Amino acid sequence: MGDDLVLDTAIRDWVLIPLSVVMVLIGVLRYFVSKLMRSSQTPDAKIVKEGQIVIRAKNLRAGANLIPAKAFRARKSYYSNEDNGLLHVPKDQAQNAQAQMFSDPNMAMDMMKKNLSMIIPQTLTFAWVNFFFSGFVAAKIPFPLTQRFRSMLQNGIDLSTVDVSYVSSRSWYFLNLFGLRGLFSLILGEENATDDTQRMMQMGGFGFDASKSLGAEKDNLDLVQHDWVMPKFEQRAEAVLRKLVS
Amino acid sequence: MVSKTEEEQIKNLESQVDNGGGGVWEYLCLVRKLKLRRSHKVLKHGLHILNNSKARSALGPEEWTLYEQVAVAAMDCNSLDVAKDCIKVLQKKFPQSRRVERLQAMLLEAKGLWTEADKAYASLLEENTLDQVVHKRRAAMAKAQGNMSLAIEIITKYLEVFMADHEAWRELAEIYVSLQMYKQAAFCYEELILSQPTIPLYHLAYADVLYTLGGLENIQTAKKYYASTIDLTGGKNIKAIFGICLCTSAIGHLSKGRNKEDKENSELQSLSVVALEKEYKQKAPNKTALLNAALRNLRLN
Repeated sequence: MGDDLVLDTAIRDWVLIPLSVVMVLIGVLRYFVSKLMRSSQTPDAKIVKEGQIVIRAKNLRAGANLIPAKAFRARKSYYSNEDNGLLHVPKDQAQNAQAQMFSDPNMAMDMMKKNLSMIIPQTLTFAWVNFFFSGFVAAKIPFPLTQRFRSMLQNGIDLSTVDVSYVSSRSWYFLNLFGLRGLFSLILGEENATDDTQRMMQMGGFGFDASKSLGAEKDNLDLVQHDWVMPKFEQRAEAVLRKLVS
Repeated sequence: MVSKTEEEQIKNLESQVDNGGGGVWEYLCLVRKLKLRRSHKVLKHGLHILNNSKARSALGPEEWTLYEQVAVAAMDCNSLDVAKDCIKVLQKKFPQSRRVERLQAMLLEAKGLWTEADKAYASLLEENTLDQVVHKRRAAMAKAQGNMSLAIEIITKYLEVFMADHEAWRELAEIYVSLQMYKQAAFCYEELILSQPTIPLYHLAYADVLYTLGGLENIQTAKKYYASTIDLTGGKNIKAIFGICLCTSAIGHLSKGRNKEDKENSELQSLSVVALEKEYKQKAPNKTALLNAALRNLRLN
């Protein structure tokens, strides 16, 4: 490989190391800022109750065969009757649950705060990195990679002749952004690590609809056939005792 | 629920701590995590750390958690002065904390100042209606005063929201049994069996309640739950075996003349009689005469 690039040591001193240090410092700073901004939210009674109903209905479904038929029937109608059963969700309410969620200012505020503490520093650092460090080849990883990795490792350099194992400064920024979780959990303690990847996933999953799970649980419960297992237990107890006696 | 490994762990740590082998903080943490009630030990060892300023400062911010833990343990052991001191320290550090307010209300309760404590709890609930601990404290307080109907009211209200809390169901069941409201108790035990089907004690208690309710159908059901208890405990539970005998004799008594289906079940009864006799011969030979008399009585009925 005669055409290997030789990286200037000044790049290491003035790009690679400062970039890494800044990323770590920003992560720590963001942790403290989000800690300050975090409001101790009191969960809504209705949401808590719905969660508990779902758990209890699940229990009923799982253990239906362990209680007498009469007890099961009573519970089933308590959960799923059409007028005021616990799992029954009124039609109109089900439709605008989503709208309700967004009209709740507290929730929107919370989401804003969470996103602000994530997006603002990210855009700022990205702009900063772009302004000062764009176009550098900052590092070289010690093993060869295939062409597919070019877009991941050489973001910001449009040269197809450079070997893929060289990392551009902007890519180094991204690698740091997503790869520092282990370091943060060392510095800030296990649970406190700010994890961007996880948070991004949470954003996608936002909008959990309790009424939907209630409805699903109701459908499941309606399908359950009661088949009391207790009579079988008499035979099993007999077997146990026979073993004990002999 | 405490798993097997955790049980082992706490046992080891406990003996280590009792013999002065260190690991006190780990022990206290584990007790807190598993929500065990080892108040005397927590008080003794926790106070030891708190009185030693070097060990205390080594904990860092966890120091305050320890203060809280020791305060609760002290109240449980009726060392109210210690609890008061701990709470005072916490109050100084966190002047507006609701958690400290809760401790103060608990201290009032421990002192037996019911009205004051009730007022304090009520104000706490006003701020946060979903505080489970405060709800439970209020129920416990009503029970301590012997006001069972109030306790029932509080727990049912609590269960309306937190209906998956099996501890509350259990408490309610026991209160109902103590008031001889067996139908309601049976409902609670059904709920407990649903949420934790593998715990034989619930099956046993449910069977007891059904047997006490009486009536042919209930007793037949009770017998089945005694049988399931035997199955779940591997025949180690003497009470369940006795229950089988009692139920069979009661069923025979109630369905005189038309007991065709019970013929096949008589084997279970004879087996349990044999098992009982064997068990008594092994463990308490001087009481076999008593057992024989009791069994004879049952068969005569």
